[in-house]
Amino acid sequence: MTICSTAFLTLGTAQARALGYPALPIAVMPHPFGNRTRQEVRQIAEQCVDDIVNLVSGAPAL
Amino acid sequence: MNAIPAAPGAARFEAPDDFDAINRIYRERRWGDGLPIVPPTVERVERMLAQTRRARGDLVARIAPGYGAASVEHIAVNAVLAGCDPEYLPLLIAATEAVADPRFNLQAIQATTNPVAAWIIVNGPAAQRLDINSTFNCLGQGAWANATVGRALRLILQNIGGALPGEMDRATQGQPGKFTFCCAENEAENPWQPLHVERGFAADCSTVTVVGAEGTMNMNTHSKDAEELLRVIAETMMHPPSNEYCHSGEPWLILGPEHAEILSGGGFTKGEVKQRLWQLSKMPAQRMSVKDLLRVKESRTEELGEILPDTLLPIALRPEDIQIIVAGGPGTHSVYVPSFGNTYAVTREVEFQA
Repeated sequence: MTICSTAFLTLGTAQARALGYPALPIAVMPHPFGNRTRQEVRQIAEQCVDDIVNLVSGAPAL
Repeated sequence: MNAIPAAPGAARFEAPDDFDAINRIYRERRWGDGLPIVPPTVERVERMLAQTRRARGDLVARIAPGYGAASVEHIAVNAVLAGCDPEYLPLLIAATEAVADPRFNLQAIQATTNPVAAWIIVNGPAAQRLDINSTFNCLGQGAWANATVGRALRLILQNIGGALPGEMDRATQGQPGKFTFCCAENEAENPWQPLHVERGFAADCSTVTVVGAEGTMNMNTHSKDAEELLRVIAETMMHPPSNEYCHSGEPWLILGPEHAEILSGGGFTKGEVKQRLWQLSKMPAQRMSVKDLLRVKESRTEELGEILPDTLLPIALRPEDIQIIVAGGPGTHSVYVPSFGNTYAVTREVEFQA
């Protein structure tokens, strides 16, 4: 699996297809990070972490 | 025995024998760069292919980020689209090989938000043979080879590599150099070794060098003093929101012949120019923004040790990473070409048919 922000989802899906993994699971974060505080970025990470763990371990997303 | 892998042939399709109708098809399918294309008829592609000894199906490279197969025939089709003379094909084959070299880092160059374009520099006899402009307005309009060769490489990167703007090409603004960016070195007025000789090729060898160029910054100075000239060039290179200072890079300079003559006349070899510029362009880390300084620390602590506000950041890992060519006509102008940062230029020999 991989992780990308919303602005790069098109690139991520096209790249996965090109490299032979059309069904690659992609965890998508809101874009951008640059103008968020570290605390806000941490909150986003906490919201996503369970889904990412499930994707890495092959379990279905919650 | 043919050890070169074969790529699938270029797809053929029927279209009305009408310039406007064919251009509408290319526009709708996003197979162009926004300018009208030359229809790549079978006859035109065959004329192009007649200029190389290589078989049409030879795989020259796979082009990131889509990793499409760039066969000789695919390259020829894109050369026709761009309006190239058939004689330019060997140069484009070499340029395609060069951009696919891992040192160039095409994956990042194609998919980044950075405006980076692939700049082609031609050295050796090919420049004269193909009439590639190295003098007046060599990066501007007016020379058929400069315009169409640079355009063809962009079409190869987009159509074969799949880097469509807004899709896999994520450039925030891009730059005009993404339409075309090609010139020759003005070797006749270069007081030092030309680029390809410096990079290990014979003087009578024709080469293309590809550079991941972020843009062009003109430097108009009437200074006639070598030391002063180096100082103002170094001060132009120094800019805080820079991938080069962030990651260390390979900055390029296009010295106008008049500036090159002043530096040479002042007793500087090309190597000494690089050494001096590397020293003079060291920038205090505190000039970076707070967030960018964090990126610098991530990227360069191993190279530079602990980075403090008054640490002087070199623009490149080593003085020899600063790259210099001489190009242009008369005038007091030189050009700073900042690089994308995580890229190194690659040079390939051009193999003409005869």
